Amino acid sequence: MQQKIKKLKEYLQNHYGEKTDPWGLHPKRVLENFKKIWPIYHNYFDVRIHGKINVKKRPYMVVSNHTGQIPIDAILITTAFASELRFPRILRPLVERFLISLPFFGRWSNETGAVLGDRHNCLNLLKRGESVLVFPEGVKGISKNTKDFYKLQPFTRGFIRMAITSGVDILPVAVTGAEEFYPYVVQMKRLAKFLKLPALPLSPNLIPLPSPVDIFIGKAYSLPKNLSPDALDKELDEHILKIEKQIKMLLEEGLKKRRTIVARLKR
Amino acid sequence: MNTMKSVLIIGIQGALAKITTQELVKKYPRLKIHGVDSREIIDAPKGKNFTYEKIKYSRTHFEKIFREHEFDTILHLGRLGHTLIKRNNLPKNINVNLVSTITILDLAQKYSCKKVVILSSYHVYGAHPDNPMFLKEDAPLRGSYKYAELRDGVEMDHMCTNWMWKNQNEIETIVLRPCNIIGPKIKNSMTQYLTTPYAPVPLDYNPLIQFVHELDMASIIVKAAENFKTGIYNVADDDVITLSDAVKIMGIKKMKVPIFLIEQFAKMITPFWPFPHYLIDYLKYPSTLDNTELKKNLGENFFTFNSKERIASLVKNNK
Repeated sequence: MQQKIKKLKEYLQNHYGEKTDPWGLHPKRVLENFKKIWPIYHNYFDVRIHGKINVKKRPYMVVSNHTGQIPIDAILITTAFASELRFPRILRPLVERFLISLPFFGRWSNETGAVLGDRHNCLNLLKRGESVLVFPEGVKGISKNTKDFYKLQPFTRGFIRMAITSGVDILPVAVTGAEEFYPYVVQMKRLAKFLKLPALPLSPNLIPLPSPVDIFIGKAYSLPKNLSPDALDKELDEHILKIEKQIKMLLEEGLKKRRTIVARLKR
Repeated sequence: MNTMKSVLIIGIQGALAKITTQELVKKYPRLKIHGVDSREIIDAPKGKNFTYEKIKYSRTHFEKIFREHEFDTILHLGRLGHTLIKRNNLPKNINVNLVSTITILDLAQKYSCKKVVILSSYHVYGAHPDNPMFLKEDAPLRGSYKYAELRDGVEMDHMCTNWMWKNQNEIETIVLRPCNIIGPKIKNSMTQYLTTPYAPVPLDYNPLIQFVHELDMASIIVKAAENFKTGIYNVADDDVITLSDAVKIMGIKKMKVPIFLIEQFAKMITPFWPFPHYLIDYLKYPSTLDNTELKKNLGENFFTFNSKERIASLVKNNK
């Protein structure tokens, strides 16, 4: 762990210096946060990362499936990218307005790298050479009932227009194991709407179960250079389907090799 | 480039107007400056080409001034701040900010002025959780969604920009929307908040804030009068700082409490001290400005003070 901290510290120093970046990332807080998250990442969720070789030293738009009722998957992916790669980086997850506006959580997420999911923010971050993490399924992806676990929800198109504008490659990522944090879930959709919440999952366990998590990184998807950010939806859909397919394949591969909580506890 | 010979400064009693006057004189020693304000004019810069008068902001008075002087440039820096404004003063605010402003604009056109510079504020954008970092000039003005105190400021900005585009072929109009102006002489809600030891800071939020030093702001007003093209310009540096870091530089021990307690505290003290409630949103959510348009006119390294130095200038004054 000490070596990972040293490497991350070096990266933060070289990339951000001592100062808070314009989106609120505070290098010192990132490091403090990493020290706290790592034991949970490593010991509790036993995260394994596959396909590290696919990540090169350049900015990406990381596109992942969204699972697990609460955005723990985002924390695990960012921790993995900050510590397990040959070229570590702080991914900037683009998050819901609701989360950013929450007291304490909003401050913590900003200071550790999360940014409001907004077009201008995304483009500006990519322009500055940052890598962003997006979940094109949105809230629909994370807030599924048990019967829909691992079913990829349709992707929105905004992310691809931003990738075209900024000229970065898309890095597909699939996460398995996170749906089992809360194995039995019922979504209280009407109550959520009444309380003006993005989702309201009801589960017998409040604390996520120690389900082992696997993060699969696919090969980078380069968008054609002649594709315009203002292209018609149908022109973009072809590429969105290809990216979706790539993530689905990674998911299927992950689900075949899935490690279960029971097997882990037995071990 | 606008060669200035005679300038009208509205709101001369304000600290920024006085600093701008000094800046103008440095550059144009022969420039005629006429300053007006509805308040008593105290400690205004002295010079043989300077004249000042306290006037009631009415069409009759402004017309008389425009008739007597041949102004080529108008600096409208007379927007009332909100720090000391009580709710029952709102009609006065609206009168000053809206009725007087449109009167001045119409007279500037009638008397063939070449340029008008209007000082608005970043408050017009409002501080909202869904604000992108770096608001561009075309971002919606949502400052008055929640707070009546900001309504006149937002309406004045809308009115000026509408007027500006309508008359762009006849008169050059520049609307400046600066971030928090701070400095030893400026007294606004942010400088008061930063220098007041008992004003609490939020424990659960830490927004990013931009500051511009009063001297830099005055230089930008002069530059705008000289050579900015008609348009709206955000005034802010790339340098952003978190509220907690700003408080740390101030070196004043402040109580850290959750924002809901600050909100309750603000409600309690309102009868005794007219606390600007909208400021609480600026302690929670970001409202930072994109400066691309400004940079097109001023270049990359125009600002002489960085965030630390800007705040440090307040510390010196506070001691």
